[in-house]
Amino acid sequence: MNGNSITPHILRFIGLVAVQSLLLNQMTGSVGVYFNVLLYPLFILFLPLQMPTPFLVVLGFAVGFAVDAFVPSWGVHASAGAFSGFVRGLAFMPFAPKGGFSAKDPIFAPAHIGWQTFLQGAALFMAAHILWYFTFSYFAPVFGWEILKKTAAAWIFTMIFVGLYAMMLNPKK
Amino acid sequence: MGPLLQLLLRNGGFVTFLLVELGCFAIMVNFEDRHQEIWANTTGIFGGRALEKRQMAADYFSLYETADSLAHIVDSLQARLSNARQMQVPIRDTFYLVNFDSLSKTDSVRRKTIRPQYEFVTAKSIKNSIAGTNNWLIINRGSSDGLQPDMAVVSPEGIVGIVRHVGTNFSLVMSVLHRQAKISVALPNQKNAFGSLTWEGGNPNEMTLRYIPQHFIVQENEPVVTSGYSLMFPQGHPVGKVKGSPKPDPENPYFLEIKVSLHQDMATVRDVAVVRNLFKAELDSLQLKISNNER
Repeated sequence: MNGNSITPHILRFIGLVAVQSLLLNQMTGSVGVYFNVLLYPLFILFLPLQMPTPFLVVLGFAVGFAVDAFVPSWGVHASAGAFSGFVRGLAFMPFAPKGGFSAKDPIFAPAHIGWQTFLQGAALFMAAHILWYFTFSYFAPVFGWEILKKTAAAWIFTMIFVGLYAMMLNPKK
Repeated sequence: MGPLLQLLLRNGGFVTFLLVELGCFAIMVNFEDRHQEIWANTTGIFGGRALEKRQMAADYFSLYETADSLAHIVDSLQARLSNARQMQVPIRDTFYLVNFDSLSKTDSVRRKTIRPQYEFVTAKSIKNSIAGTNNWLIINRGSSDGLQPDMAVVSPEGIVGIVRHVGTNFSLVMSVLHRQAKISVALPNQKNAFGSLTWEGGNPNEMTLRYIPQHFIVQENEPVVTSGYSLMFPQGHPVGKVKGSPKPDPENPYFLEIKVSLHQDMATVRDVAVVRNLFKAELDSLQLKISNNER
């Protein structure tokens, strides 16, 4: 990655952390307990497809930790971010072309892979992230049903915001 | 080192993920109150279970010693109980004396005369002293176990003391190492000549036997047993053995002063049995009549 290719990711990091912390997390309190939108995993989702998993894990941890610092919810978002970095490759695997992603698909975005594949891959990726997040947020198996309900609701709201984000900003790199 | 490095490089993603997640976990349980509480409870539950399992394992491995100790006590007490039950029953119509060792062998005529005289209540000494001039023990049995004052306390090896004060669950026992303790004992090798055993302080393994008349030729290491005249201690329970050569009693030259080495080391007494004389009330009432007649 050269300097030009890093800049969009840095901007995305800052923008998503700011929106998540200053807007979306505040909305949860005012709209209702089941209204949860986790948009910051898009930073991990839009990282280069060729990036090795250890980097994805560390950057996922970094973005999650930044959100944790604002909430504050020490370690929960960071853990979910690291998990997302680790499973991103697995979530995208069913949608990869034969022989895997190549250099002509720099990121997992509609501009490169099409809307249908993007939404399917993003849906799977976000579901994994949100489930991990609520599991560690509640931290006890007795809340299993509550975790599933919140995961389902948050996944629906998050996917709406993911679609809006992709349509408005249409990231290419 | 090479293969380990290769493994790390090949599974770099997983290793990084594992390390980062461990870090996150540490942050969560250290800085998040709710997580900290849940983690503490969980580790408490599992830690408690682990400790319980460890204790069970330790208990299991010490079962042999416990069982051996209990078997020893039971055997000894059964023997004592059997001795206590054995009575000589004169049958008036004949000139025979018949020994009975079991209640089941009695017939309707003899049943009234052959009865066990003693019951034993096992107990543990939970406090003991031997260094004072008057020593006491506390045992873990009380009135709820049928204990009453003036019951004898014995061990498989020898005599321990006399119950003096009884609580609901615990009792205070006057040790044989107490100046007021006087135990009626006998010398089986001297036609059961009996005397009174007291402790004069000093050596906790040695007591003094008095009131054995001078004409008995008592040898060193002769056995000393309970006489059965005290109503508290059953007859023939081991006490100790004669230590050294008997000397004339300086206070009463017609009698001997005999040092007795105790079988029961009072410093290690732990498992004991309290002796309940089932005919104590009747015998006490008879003794009271003797006292009243002598006034």
